[in-house]
Amino acid sequence: MATVTDRPTTARSLNITGLVAGSLFGGLLAGGLLHEYDTIHNTLVLEDLYVFFVMGSAIAIAAPLLWFLERRRTNTLMTGLLTLSRSKPERHHVVGGVLFGVGWALAGTCPAPALVMLSSGAWLALVAIAGIFLGLYIREVQTRVPLSPGDREQHNRPVVADFGK
Amino acid sequence: MFDLLPAQLPWWVVGPGLGLLVAGLFLVNNQPLGASGAYVQTSGLIRRRPDTAVWRVWYFAGMFLGGLVVTQVLRDNAGGDVRSGYDALTGTFSMPVVVIIIFVGATLLGYGAAVAGGCTSGHGLCGISQRSPASLTMTATFVTTAVVVSLTMRAVFGGAL
Repeated sequence: MATVTDRPTTARSLNITGLVAGSLFGGLLAGGLLHEYDTIHNTLVLEDLYVFFVMGSAIAIAAPLLWFLERRRTNTLMTGLLTLSRSKPERHHVVGGVLFGVGWALAGTCPAPALVMLSSGAWLALVAIAGIFLGLYIREVQTRVPLSPGDREQHNRPVVADFGK
Repeated sequence: MFDLLPAQLPWWVVGPGLGLLVAGLFLVNNQPLGASGAYVQTSGLIRRRPDTAVWRVWYFAGMFLGGLVVTQVLRDNAGGDVRSGYDALTGTFSMPVVVIIIFVGATLLGYGAAVAGGCTSGHGLCGISQRSPASLTMTATFVTTAVVVSLTMRAVFGGAL
């Protein structure tokens, strides 16, 4: 089974995969105006549940597909057998969730939409992006755990473990 | 530039599109579509850390690029559709206050994502789609918290909120 960075060609196709997946992701977020504070805020005050419908329908499509693909033991194009990862809820998921939730409500954005907000020409996105980098960095310094490459092998380490996610 | 997209695509286009993308990335290289992970790797690349997963930096750049194509090329901004990104907030508070709220909120986003091991995309979309109980817990927690905080802000400050 090829690992993700063992050959230059693999690294290149992986980078292209990243760029394409990122572009599609950013494009879809922009299409739904998910980079606008108003879209997020209107959902969070339960006035227009657009964001919840987006998340719910995304999961409703992805979950059965992934279940099916794992069950029939599908090979991925680049990294061998498709395997899903599941972990038990721990305290840090709840603590992190509360902090993230307060941040989501205040900043009205999250990591991916903040980048799209910047491409939409809204300069306040720079404030949001800087804050996200700072928050991640503070935690990194605090735990003194080296950065997770975000790849499979690192997936089950504590705290920064699910970071690829 | 061109007027090819409506102001907002319906949720039943965006949501299923994201769902197919999540499953698609698993089919290609078995990886979840996590945005906070992309920030971590980009931060690592800037600081020249040797263990950087470079493909996630390309993913980071892609999110910006995809947003650029849709907001600047496919959508027509000439009709006054360009927004500050924070209309309700700038309509309620003065600019320095808005900047502080966003900065504090975003720092909590980054810190909270680091503690929880993922954000809306990693836990919310990809984790739940993998049927991970940890992701379901984290997502239910942040959604509930955010609803409570937002309703409180509306009750306290009113204005355009």
